[in-house]
Amino acid sequence: MTYRKLEGKSTQILEKIRENLEKLNEKIDVMIEIQKHGHREIPDNLPEALDVMTLLSLPDHLRKTAVSLCKLEKATADEVAKQTKRARAVESGYLNQLVTMGYMKKEREGRKAYFCVNKED
Amino acid sequence: MGKIIAVHSYKGGTGKTSLSVNLAATYARNGKKVCLMDLDFRAPSLHALFKDYKTDYWLNDYLNGVCEIDKILVDATKDHGNGGKLMVALANPSTEAIRDMTAKDRKWEMKALGRLLSLRSSVLNDSGFDYIVFDTSPGLQYSSINAIVTADVVLVVTSLDASDINGSQRMTTELYDLFEKKTGILVNKVIADYLSSPEEEKKFNKYIKSIHSLPILAIIPCFCEVLRAAGDFIFSEEKPEHPFTETLKQLAQKVEKF
Repeated sequence: MTYRKLEGKSTQILEKIRENLEKLNEKIDVMIEIQKHGHREIPDNLPEALDVMTLLSLPDHLRKTAVSLCKLEKATADEVAKQTKRARAVESGYLNQLVTMGYMKKEREGRKAYFCVNKED
Repeated sequence: MGKIIAVHSYKGGTGKTSLSVNLAATYARNGKKVCLMDLDFRAPSLHALFKDYKTDYWLNDYLNGVCEIDKILVDATKDHGNGGKLMVALANPSTEAIRDMTAKDRKWEMKALGRLLSLRSSVLNDSGFDYIVFDTSPGLQYSSINAIVTADVVLVVTSLDASDINGSQRMTTELYDLFEKKTGILVNKVIADYLSSPEEEKKFNKYIKSIHSLPILAIIPCFCEVLRAAGDFIFSEEKPEHPFTETLKQLAQKVEKF
């Protein structure tokens, strides 16, 4: 009984560490983007259309992620990774880059982060 | 699970509409549930062939978010089902609608892509259709690229015209490859001389394979009878024994397994 409790506790701790690492990863991605493009602010007030011509202009690795999100409409990094057959952490990075570029929105629902294409005018 | 097939070409007049219609009819004849959609909003064509069918809503309205797809689909099964089911979605041929569609902005095109992508769940999954066939606009433009991104299989119709061959090559390598699409080539309107004997045919096949790096799914001879039909009726339906119909049957099988 005690052993089970302990095991449960360590899983919880590991889960918490994973979440924190993810958040850190996202922050680092944003910092990298800011450095690359010289943006002082994240341009979330300027939604960009993710139309096919824009998809064409994206680098290959981001296009794959973006097309997959267009198909899913709203998804977590995990769901995108299942489609693209790439690692979840990789997709998480790419999705956050697309958010930083203004093509996508990120929303948190409980512990999960959902990404969706910017549709409002 | 159903499949979305986009029929596209670099240049106009290659026979996209004729092949889309006949491919859809062939699947219906095989007992499949098929939905044929006119995505050529600049030069709509299917309304002329299906002129006896009246519709209150056009595919334009679906993309504009005015209504859902069930309001658009016209049931042509009674005349063209042949054992299966054939539904058609028509593009609005009025000049005003064409002008309206050519003046859309990027944001609209993005939403239109979303609407096309959701046909997979509404038409294929929920309504249980086996195939959606998109008849697209030629060349590189929004409506066709949206169709290509949405499709599972893209069929590029090409003639033997040098500019068409060159353009199709460029389009497939610079556009389709980027979207990682399963693509097959249909060489249409091939002059009978090139296929006059088995040797000539072999030589021609070799030549075609040397110019296109993609799989050649059909080599379709130029039949005067098909041209004479002038898009007034569905050829493969009226002439079930004709070699053109036979070629379409083989193409349908290949696409099914593709």
